[in-house]
Amino acid sequence: MAGQSDPHISLFSPEEIEFMAEDELVEIVPNMRMDPLNFISGNFGPFYPQIPIKVPLWLAVALKKRGKCTIRPPQWMSIENLTQVLEGEREDQGAFQAVPFHYIEISRLLFDHARDDIPDIYMVRSLVEDIRDVRLHKVETNLEKFSATSAVKIAHLSAMEVNVVRPFVVRALQAFFKHDNPVLMGDLDTVSDGQPQVTRQRQVPNNAQRQPLKRR
Amino acid sequence: MNDGSARNGNYYDIDDILIEEELVPVVFHKSANGVKVDPSAEKDSVEEAVSISVPTCFNQKTRREIQADAANVDLRSRCPHFYEFGCKIAPIVGDRTIGKMLLSTFQMRYKEILTKAHTAAYTAASKFLKVLTNEETNLYAAAQSSMAAFKKWRIGGPRFQKASVLGRKRKPID
Repeated sequence: MAGQSDPHISLFSPEEIEFMAEDELVEIVPNMRMDPLNFISGNFGPFYPQIPIKVPLWLAVALKKRGKCTIRPPQWMSIENLTQVLEGEREDQGAFQAVPFHYIEISRLLFDHARDDIPDIYMVRSLVEDIRDVRLHKVETNLEKFSATSAVKIAHLSAMEVNVVRPFVVRALQAFFKHDNPVLMGDLDTVSDGQPQVTRQRQVPNNAQRQPLKRR
Repeated sequence: MNDGSARNGNYYDIDDILIEEELVPVVFHKSANGVKVDPSAEKDSVEEAVSISVPTCFNQKTRREIQADAANVDLRSRCPHFYEFGCKIAPIVGDRTIGKMLLSTFQMRYKEILTKAHTAAYTAASKFLKVLTNEETNLYAAAQSSMAAFKKWRIGGPRFQKASVLGRKRKPID
């Protein structure tokens, strides 16, 4: 994937994930008047005081830092919703609750830059952290259930959760694929069943078998 | 002395070269003194002269230990490249059970690697690392580094990194 800081172990750094999350839209209430902004991703504005408008998170944070707006926390970031999600996560050990794809990053950015705009920030913050910990633990327990597969499907994982386990999962699945694949293991059919510990001379492979192996 | 298919992909892989240095017990059918293997020789010429037996790291004793408690078997001391070596040796000795054994071994051991990588402190992990094969160590390092990066990000810290160019003093222009 392009843009990975370390493609070798197929990992985005958390900062890179955060960068991607900054493209998510949030609602802000500006306190100034400004002409529309024309970006590659679209046009935002014009901005009028006290008229709510949706902008990318990075723009919201930039305006917030300059004291030009207040950020409206997203719908899902309410105590009721988060409590419900947390209960759901705890009750159902098998499945994940549907949460926004970038919930970890968005909440971190909002907690850092817009703490005065979030009602009950302490409660919200601890709820989000609980949800995150419960889900991460669940991911781990889920991953322990691989059995000789080369694919795995887990619904509703978020960007950060996927990224944290990606290097491990990719390698583990590659290993499973390799050991589970008779061709890659050299388990050719011409080789008859041998018992362990038996010393036997290897059959000289016939030409039909050798041909594909010699191709470069 | 290996199947071309396996060799081609990893021609420059140092681990792959090291794996092929593993010693394998053989029985010579013809007397030979001061054997030199010509690298350009066809492999058949050697294979007709010797028969290869299953290396000790895949013998019954090891298998029984793995069956008993796979997670705690010290595979590293037996063979640092247990899995890859197994893959390479299985077709040569014609033992199909090796493949199955490798699969079940990995299946039983990878969970431990995951949980240890995500939770254990460094001192506890170093003891655990001693029994891992090279392949498993890579897996552990991968899981561990991603989790460490995430934890670091979560705690926070300096958000901006200075470009290395910026710190330098400009050269005075003569």
